[in-house]
Amino acid sequence: MTETVLRAEGVHKSYDGLPVLQGVSLEVGRGEVKVIIGPSGSGKSTFLRSLALLEPVDAGQVYLEGEQVSGLKEKELATHRSEIGMVFQRFNLFQNMTALGNVMVALRDVRRLPKGEARERALEFLARVGLRDKADNYPEELSGGQQQRVAIARALVMRPKAMLFDEPTSALDVELVREVLDVMEGLARDGMTMVVVSHELRFAHHVASSILMMDEGKIIEEAPPEQFFSAPSHDRTKRFLALVEQP
Amino acid sequence: MVASFDTHLFWEVLRSEPYWRGALLAIALTCASLGAAFLLGFPLALGRASRQPVVRSLVFLYSWFFRATPTLLLLIIVWDVIPQQFTVFTQNWFTPFLAAFIALSLNEAAYMAEIIRAGLLAVDPGQELAGRALGMRRWQILRRVIVPQAVRIVIPPTGNEFITLLKLTSLASVISVHELLTAANEQASVSFSYREVYGAALVYYLVIVSVLMFLQSRLERRFTFRSRSRGAATPVGLAAAAHDAR
Repeated sequence: MTETVLRAEGVHKSYDGLPVLQGVSLEVGRGEVKVIIGPSGSGKSTFLRSLALLEPVDAGQVYLEGEQVSGLKEKELATHRSEIGMVFQRFNLFQNMTALGNVMVALRDVRRLPKGEARERALEFLARVGLRDKADNYPEELSGGQQQRVAIARALVMRPKAMLFDEPTSALDVELVREVLDVMEGLARDGMTMVVVSHELRFAHHVASSILMMDEGKIIEEAPPEQFFSAPSHDRTKRFLALVEQP
Repeated sequence: MVASFDTHLFWEVLRSEPYWRGALLAIALTCASLGAAFLLGFPLALGRASRQPVVRSLVFLYSWFFRATPTLLLLIIVWDVIPQQFTVFTQNWFTPFLAAFIALSLNEAAYMAEIIRAGLLAVDPGQELAGRALGMRRWQILRRVIVPQAVRIVIPPTGNEFITLLKLTSLASVISVHELLTAANEQASVSFSYREVYGAALVYYLVIVSVLMFLQSRLERRFTFRSRSRGAATPVGLAAAAHDAR
């Protein structure tokens, strides 16, 4: 049994009385990759944001390495957020900073590293996503795929305990998807603990420890890839898989 | 028979001390008022989005009062009405320049607050979200991410405000601030050569605004976030990026 890194327990969340999450629980062991799929509006993104501590939950808890991290004061929340890496669908790179600036800024402001050290480490992580030579370019000078790789480096450089990906390739042109998935597969191989919301089923098939199906604010099924694709137990899952491309 | 344009007088007036002093005064008053309005407008802009209803109401009242009051009336209030009420303001330190500065700053801050608020709102909310996800605190995100991006949006309307304010400084003549137009009026009342005298004043305004426009374009470029080596306006970076894509 591997050690649990990230755990959610009975997470509930409503917007204006409209329930979005209705008791979602999840347990991610060290080095595991959980891929969440499901129709839009099923609450995947909201759940991921709850795990990233960006969204206060109405009920339920989030634990990071056994420590309760949800429902804390803003200052403690900020500290724990820096221990969880988050990658967004639309990259959200800071437009006023170069690639290097993006990867450096939290090392300086949150980790309080001296400039030289932060720079060094940022360059090292840019190299890891193959973008060392783009260090001085601003986001709008980069392709979508490159921007997303910088965003991954920006999250990784904090040495997070887990990485969360919110549809990291769905805003990308098809020919740019591969470079991002390559980086993510590399991370998984290196033993990074990951939760990925994605409809890249081929990626899920190769990389996931298990795949989770979300619908109407609940996780309705969780299974290892082989079983998930070949013999889904839930009817809703069968219907959903019939609509999306098979791996 | 219309008298010919007196070029000699025109040059004379253009170079005269009251003119360039008046112009410097107008520029100083404009810059000082705009600077103060910016500093005052920033907390006002933040206050409009405050979670405290009291703060929001106060900001609303401020904006309502100073936008509704004519600038000329405000100058008179600061210079004549307030000293009648509070005698501290009758002392020597309370100069017409200071009074004009206070009136114009208070007035302008109401407009700057709107401009700054629009600038802050125009920054993609995803920027703040990404900052929070990294564990940055709100003020850090504001200082490092939101404000630099809002500045770019705020520059053009602020340039407009500068020009408006520069013209409004001429109103300060009613409280005996010797700015440019006051100098021109005085010249006109002795020489009656309106074309030369006001023509020279016009030249000053044209030059000041031209310089401002030049500085504004420099500043806009400074806050356009592209690497210098890639050129200013053309999306060369995009082409290079597309080429690089595997």
